Amino acid sequence: MENGINTYVNKVGHSYKTRLRGINKYGLMLAFISICLVLSFITPRFLTIQNLMIIVTQVSINALLAFGVTFVIITGGIDLSIGSMVAVAGVVAATFAHPDTYPVVVPVAIGLLAGLLFGAFNGLVITRSKVPPFIVTLGTMTIGRGLALILSKGRPVSNLSDSFNFIGGGKILGVPTLIIILIVAFFICSVILHKTVIGRYMYAVGGNEQAARASGIQLSTVKMIVYTLCGGLAALAGILLTSRITTGQPNAGTGFELDAIAAAIIGGTSTSGGTGTMTGTLIGALLIGVISNGLDLLNVTSYYQQVVMGTIIIGAVVLDSVNRPGTE
Amino acid sequence: MRPIYLNLIIASLFSATLLMGCNQAATNEKGQDGEKKLVVGVTMLSMQNEFIVNVHDEMAKKAEAAGVELITVDAERSALKQVEQVESFIAQNVDAIIMNPCEVEASSPAVTKALAAKIPIINVNSETSIKPSAFVGSDDVESARIAMKFIADKLGGKGNVLMIHGYMGQAAQIKREQGAREVLKQYPGLKLLAHQTGEWDRAKGMSLMENWIQSYGSQINAVFAHNDEMGLGAVKALTDAGLKAKVIVVSIDAIPDALQAVKKGTLDATVFQNAEQQGSKAIETAIKAANGQAYDKQTLIPFQLVTKENVAKFLK
Amino acid sequence: MPLEPNNILEVRGLTKTFSGVKALNNVQLSLRKGEVHALMGENGAGKSTFMKILMGLLTPDSGQINFDGYPFKVGSVHDVLKSGISMIHQEILAVPELTVAQNIFLGRETNGRLFDWLNDRHLEKQARELLEQMRVSIRPDARMKELSVAEMQMVEIAKAISNQAKVIIMDEPTSALAATEVTTLFGIIRELTRKGVAIIYISHRMDEIFALADTITVLRDGNYIGTKPAADLDEAALITMMVGRELDTLFPESESQQGEEVLSVNNLSSKGKFSNINFVVHAGEVLGMAGLMGVGRTEIARAIFGLDRIHAGTVCIKGKPTAITSPQEAIQAGIGYVSEDRKQVGLIPGLSVQYNMTLASLSNYTSGLLIGSRKESEAATTMMADLRIKATGPSQKVVYLSGGNQQKVVIGKVLLASPSLIILDEPTRGIDVGAKAEIYKLIARLKAAGIAIVLISSELPELLGLSDRVLVLSKGKQTALLSKDEATQETIMRYAMQP
Repeated sequence: MENGINTYVNKVGHSYKTRLRGINKYGLMLAFISICLVLSFITPRFLTIQNLMIIVTQVSINALLAFGVTFVIITGGIDLSIGSMVAVAGVVAATFAHPDTYPVVVPVAIGLLAGLLFGAFNGLVITRSKVPPFIVTLGTMTIGRGLALILSKGRPVSNLSDSFNFIGGGKILGVPTLIIILIVAFFICSVILHKTVIGRYMYAVGGNEQAARASGIQLSTVKMIVYTLCGGLAALAGILLTSRITTGQPNAGTGFELDAIAAAIIGGTSTSGGTGTMTGTLIGALLIGVISNGLDLLNVTSYYQQVVMGTIIIGAVVLDSVNRPGTE
Repeated sequence: MRPIYLNLIIASLFSATLLMGCNQAATNEKGQDGEKKLVVGVTMLSMQNEFIVNVHDEMAKKAEAAGVELITVDAERSALKQVEQVESFIAQNVDAIIMNPCEVEASSPAVTKALAAKIPIINVNSETSIKPSAFVGSDDVESARIAMKFIADKLGGKGNVLMIHGYMGQAAQIKREQGAREVLKQYPGLKLLAHQTGEWDRAKGMSLMENWIQSYGSQINAVFAHNDEMGLGAVKALTDAGLKAKVIVVSIDAIPDALQAVKKGTLDATVFQNAEQQGSKAIETAIKAANGQAYDKQTLIPFQLVTKENVAKFLK
Repeated sequence: MPLEPNNILEVRGLTKTFSGVKALNNVQLSLRKGEVHALMGENGAGKSTFMKILMGLLTPDSGQINFDGYPFKVGSVHDVLKSGISMIHQEILAVPELTVAQNIFLGRETNGRLFDWLNDRHLEKQARELLEQMRVSIRPDARMKELSVAEMQMVEIAKAISNQAKVIIMDEPTSALAATEVTTLFGIIRELTRKGVAIIYISHRMDEIFALADTITVLRDGNYIGTKPAADLDEAALITMMVGRELDTLFPESESQQGEEVLSVNNLSSKGKFSNINFVVHAGEVLGMAGLMGVGRTEIARAIFGLDRIHAGTVCIKGKPTAITSPQEAIQAGIGYVSEDRKQVGLIPGLSVQYNMTLASLSNYTSGLLIGSRKESEAATTMMADLRIKATGPSQKVVYLSGGNQQKVVIGKVLLASPSLIILDEPTRGIDVGAKAEIYKLIARLKAAGIAIVLISSELPELLGLSDRVLVLSKGKQTALLSKDEATQETIMRYAMQP
């Protein structure tokens, strides 16, 4: 054997890990496809255009949240407040979306603004105080829930205009608007993450903060942008949810943060930061959606659904930990 | 992580709680000009639930009219918290306690403790396994019977039914399921195609219904949802699929959204649980008990079926 | 195979394969009681695998090990420690929140009964006796995290001694030590060998090997190359054994062609770290920075690069006073910094070679908002070829590269930002001798290209071989600025030790 590029092969226990690494690289796609195949064998109703559209529609809100949280997790952070931001943005938008009041851009713009501000607030506290993001967003999660209840006085905001309800509930050329928005958002987020400087910086900051700083990257700027972006996406999800269920609910989005984080993790985003892709997150979200849709079609009780989902999350994280370089 | 921040957070939360406690104590003393003002402690299941907020608002209104001071706390669906809240009411030596129990079993210790301290405790809306001084509410089983009976009548006793549960294992879910199944048993022609939880949530109910439409399509004749939120979600999914005209949807609670939907004809029926009456009867009973007067041990407020015909009188 | 009575450890025919690749092939070793036996080889030669087998962390495919006259069953680490083999790890494995005494006796507090009462005072007394024996002044009740790296190393050694170790394996024990501490360590090692303890010593530092070792065994690419008495070898011969070919002269000849002044530092001070530092670096010049560990060399570099705050003094770039408060500004001003801490400050391990290299100069490859991937990969590929970085390609993650190649990636990153000044902080730490020579050549090339270089190094031969002038520090103060002719090992050490 020549000494040189192959020297790292000599590392301990490499063979076992190589095998698992191989699984993970294409594994998510494989798992996804095989689950879809199994479901379409068991129930003929699964693999119909209509059902697939329904799955994507149902997944879209979680996927949008998961995109946002993927940005955050890649930088080594976490955002637990997205579920509350869904409620805040939803309630705020609904307040301005009653029929014959404002044109439909107004509730959308104000809702988005609310989310961006909320996210920026998260970023500001995290970068100024050096308090871990877990604690900051745990706090703002509760603050956000309170704000949503205050703004709505604890009651759902209903009676929304048709044009507002169209955003998340309509169809364009037979395709639900949610699917179209999801596809557009996916492309934009992918481009941001993989093709722009700020995207690269996210990986750098999450991969090694000190080295990123020594490479001339301003950590606080990157983090501010990331949390604001996450807030914006959560607000978009909140507006779409409000539009889909035609009412702004102050308790909407409870627990959504966990589903979104789960989608990102299943999609291969490492909780220790520095890795992850938008495609992975999208497949992660779709996988969750497919499983829940399939189990509904098979009329499996929700108890089992929860067990299945939990198993998948742990499986994904185990693969992730095996994959992390430098663990022996 | 710097633990100092954690300490700060805890300290500030703690002092906030203390301040709130002080406020209450202060108002308490102010009421003492003239004769002693009655104080009633109220702990509610969740102030995020519209129906419960309505019950509480009615209590607050009646209490103000009667010159009674209410101390309201939110148990946030935690029975443990609720028991602690009742303990603190006992420590403050309130004249009566109104509890909207979180759980049948887990909230029971609160009743035991209040009775031991000789403070009357009135359960409102739902029950505990230990009998309180008085119960004001409605029988959840009955509401589901009414709803399912409506479906049976509409379908002529024959057809396929879907049921959307609330949070599995909660008292309301258990009782509403029980009532629905009783009626199903009486009508062998009714078949329960599938049942699944929608966790009281409109979006979840909607997703569930969308998936069921894929599974059962035109076989579905009727849907019974344990609350209006999920019922409205099902209506949305059915409307989107163009099936609403063929499927009957009935749910419970008669929230304003649901009443509007009944009026429009999209929701076929809802069951009205009288929040105002529950609230006012509860505070009435509490005042009587606090003053040592005779009171009813059990006040059952009847449910009413709301359909397009009678919806007008429920719309304010 | 007759076992010599003087041998404490005999290894024969040791082979270990990982996924078809032989990490160790028929390796042998005979360790006499009371000798210092250096185990040499480039990174990847199989030293770590060998030591891991001895410590029970890995099971060999074949081969036999005799220890203290008996066949040695490789079992758990616990058993190995009990039988009298200890290892001082390169990265110190101590529990920072526990005291020195608790760390020394960790795992052996109560003869293995998990629920016995702990007697900390008794442990401390034993630890104090042990440390006094070693002639080091460390308080046994101090917490591990309060100690310097060198002191921690001493505690590790105390732990091995207290273990009644007959064989102590030392893996790069001096990599974090200053010269005086190295002297202390050597004293302890000689004391141990006098008592019959055998030492397996692994190091990349030639001077240490020849100062300490009685016998030298060389491994290359997993193969046993040979064992010779240290007295029969010189540096060149040893390197030839290790590398398998003659190395060009380690330090390339280069002429000093000083250009304009690039960096001048005036009265630079940082509270508690260094004060009144003055020097100038010219284009095409290497300024060496010498001193013991922790005297403020890295801190000066970090301050110039904007990583740490400056409390007083000025930094001028090409004659213009420049206030640098962040690495971003430093890079814009044309400064590049290759940190001593490759893993912590240099690299993003999970990113590819290309992404690491272009990180500090990304804005050069953008078109509009997007990164032009063609431009970026061209820049990276060219730099990889230029620095002869051995990787499967620009998309390989840096974590899988050898230390030398990782270091080149960091240098590549700095170079892509087209600096006029590069600060190299211990650029050859922990990399093997072949890669070192390449780094030295690279430094000469950069110098010839007119880049100003500040070279911080604890290896005096390296510093003397490359520098045009040498700045010597002692305890945060500048004690000398020596010209190439003045600078010798002796003068540098004299100024470095100056109080």
